[in-house]
Amino acid sequence: MAHAPVLEAIDQTQIRRRPPLDVLYEWVTTVDHKKLGLMYIGYALLFLVIAGFEAVLMRIQLAVPNNHFVSPQVFNRLFTMHGTTMIFFVAMPVMFGFGNYLVPLMIGARDMAFPRLNAFSFWISAFGGLLMYFSYLGGDGLYGMGSAPDVGWFAYAPLTAKVFSPGHSTDYWTLAVLLSGVGSTGTALNIVTTVLSMRCRGMKLSRLPLFVWLMMVASGIVFVAVSPLTAAQIMLILDRYLGAHFFDTQAGGSAVLWMHFFWIFGHPEVYILVLPAFGFVNEIIPVFSRKAVFGYPAMVAASVGIGFISLSVWAHHMFTVGMGAAGNTFFVFSTMVISVPTGIKIFNWLATLWGGKIIFKVPMMFCIAFLFQFLVAGLTGIMLSAAPFNWQLSASYFVVAHFHYVIVGAIITSLFGAFYYWYPKMTGRMMSETLGKWHFWLFIIGFHLTFDFMHVPGLLGMPRRIYTYEAGRGWEGWNLIVGIGALFQTAGTLIFVYNLVRSYYRGEVAGHDPWDAWTLEWATPSPPPSYNFAVEPTVRSGRPLWDLKHPEDLDENYE
Amino acid sequence: MNEMNATHDQGPLDDHSRPTDTIPLPAPTAWPMVLALGIALMLGGMVTHWAISLLGLLMAVPAIVGWFFDVLPHERHVYVDVHADVIEIKSTRETLAHLPLDERHRKLLPLETFSVMSGVKGGIAGGLAMIVPAALYSLIRYHSVWYAANLLAAGGFVSWAGESNAFLAQFHLRGLLAAMAIHGLTSVLIGLLYGAMLPMFPRWPILTAGFVAPFLWTGILHSALGIISPILDQRIDWSWFVVSQIAFGLVAGFVVNLHVKVRTPQFRSLPFSVRAGIHALGDEEDKAP
Repeated sequence: MAHAPVLEAIDQTQIRRRPPLDVLYEWVTTVDHKKLGLMYIGYALLFLVIAGFEAVLMRIQLAVPNNHFVSPQVFNRLFTMHGTTMIFFVAMPVMFGFGNYLVPLMIGARDMAFPRLNAFSFWISAFGGLLMYFSYLGGDGLYGMGSAPDVGWFAYAPLTAKVFSPGHSTDYWTLAVLLSGVGSTGTALNIVTTVLSMRCRGMKLSRLPLFVWLMMVASGIVFVAVSPLTAAQIMLILDRYLGAHFFDTQAGGSAVLWMHFFWIFGHPEVYILVLPAFGFVNEIIPVFSRKAVFGYPAMVAASVGIGFISLSVWAHHMFTVGMGAAGNTFFVFSTMVISVPTGIKIFNWLATLWGGKIIFKVPMMFCIAFLFQFLVAGLTGIMLSAAPFNWQLSASYFVVAHFHYVIVGAIITSLFGAFYYWYPKMTGRMMSETLGKWHFWLFIIGFHLTFDFMHVPGLLGMPRRIYTYEAGRGWEGWNLIVGIGALFQTAGTLIFVYNLVRSYYRGEVAGHDPWDAWTLEWATPSPPPSYNFAVEPTVRSGRPLWDLKHPEDLDENYE
Repeated sequence: MNEMNATHDQGPLDDHSRPTDTIPLPAPTAWPMVLALGIALMLGGMVTHWAISLLGLLMAVPAIVGWFFDVLPHERHVYVDVHADVIEIKSTRETLAHLPLDERHRKLLPLETFSVMSGVKGGIAGGLAMIVPAALYSLIRYHSVWYAANLLAAGGFVSWAGESNAFLAQFHLRGLLAAMAIHGLTSVLIGLLYGAMLPMFPRWPILTAGFVAPFLWTGILHSALGIISPILDQRIDWSWFVVSQIAFGLVAGFVVNLHVKVRTPQFRSLPFSVRAGIHALGDEEDKAP
């Protein structure tokens, strides 16, 4: 037997490393929806860490009475930056990131309809976030006043007027949100156009994966909801720079006008964020229950219904301004009505789980937590939709607990599930289940410590945005528990970030379809090539991979 | 995602000059990023210095021109080599468990049912029928056909909460319009709800609508009316209310029963011979709820 020389027996394949500048150039100039999606997600994660850090600082400040861990001025900046960052530079980008990455893959397309607009939308949103945080460095700038924005994330008039907010801190907020709005509108336009015009053969609207439906509905809401916000930002700029008086109550303007403009964006925004979260759950629960989703048409109808109704509920944020009986009655009922399509969704998810062969992997665990937490969030939402109840608890920590239940308990929780579910597709590696379970339990325990108990000081009268408080009001014990919960959540999130990085280098190789799933993205390699599909796919049902895996029991026979 | 390394021939190519085994994708471009940066700097100048805005403008203008030439007169593409590895799509599970609901593992839903619109039509007809016992009650008890309408409308008018029975027995145009709006909307919504429930209870619509639903609906209203309309709760006569509900239900059920059932999507899953009418459905399918 001949032996090869030792040198020849050693694998001499050279791993071709490209210079960092080449890699950077490739990512900066890319118009590939997957890379842009990943950049959206990475950028959102960066801001998630920053905004999370701000939240921890606030909770330390409030953990004990009469605390002076930070100054009142810094505290105002912290809650403003935390809220604005979480909504505009974490939640929206991350949802659009997943939408960007997944929508073309799920509908069998090679890219988005407008790839260059897609890149522009990402970059302008990203520069919006950078501009807002530049305020920490540049706020004192050339004019010597102010620093980071400190007017709260909804920036009520007349606090934003030049006389109450001198310098440029509010301008940074306005301009950053304006830039973010332009990017959001561009991405929404892209998603709707892509879904309507770039579906593969056989992908009828009645066969769209529910995630795609929900991204389309959420994008539709963006058109209607973000435009008033952008208009309001321009009006505020005119007020501050050119002496217009749109929101100047002493010169014939109206502070309530700003409220209407803001909340006609602000409440639909909740649905812009939660609908993609519903989409994640719609994809994950059936796969880990090994059943088709229950009531697909009802789910689509409920999603579209939520989209429409969400545009008619904004003034339930304004019960305390005195809208009159007719206004209050309308917004009470419209707000309560939205619980009907939402309830349909919860029943359908439960019906999907019912009788299924449930597999408790980490993505599914997050979805189960989502179901429970979203239900509680909805129930406190119904409580707050009743105007008399709202009069009592408006601007209290009960409201803060409620909307964090929605945003963290529902949106962020399902988002974590989505990370564990699609990370193998995006990177080709599985995330660690063990670390995932540590992340899950620490985060969920922390979440409930924080936000369950946050309702109580609210009921006891603790106002939101309060810098500190006296001892003896019955708030201190609750706030301490809330602060401890925040530390649990921080620990869980840090494990998650570590898991993301570690799994990229050392995770188990995923293969193209690690979950035995049914939608088209799992028919591509992991990660998918730049062209997604070598051959344009043709589908005959809502679960094309089920049909390929089970030719004896085709879905198309039942649609 | 390193396939971009295997790209070539940037720029417009027609199909004849396109390399084989490649796929055209939009060419990478820096102009969107430069334009976004330019706009951000233009706005950023408002909070820093006008020179920043000028720099932004100087970036934005060439970016717009560059982007323009990226797509006109022809969109720039790169041609990416295709690595057409065949991926085997198969389940990792070796067994397929069938739930013990049916010989097939899928539960068969009804093959035919009433349409949702038939429920709405039933609701409208039932709403009209309900007026008769309500008007009779008003006439017998208060010698006026307007009492029931005004009582219903009073739920929407806070100022009517303390009004006397004599006031409610008089004709008020405002009250009539409000009562018509409330009654009409509720009838249509109840009809819609009924239509949505029909696929679950497709048999005996007159029994379901005429007796089961009125008692359920009356029970729900009995527990909630104190919150919805306190004035109505104080003065309502529940026995007459049940009679009017039954009138609504019987008429609604009758109208629904007049409609022809429509086929559900499940019908398409039947064998061709059944769909063509050559073979009848077996007992088992007939019994499917």
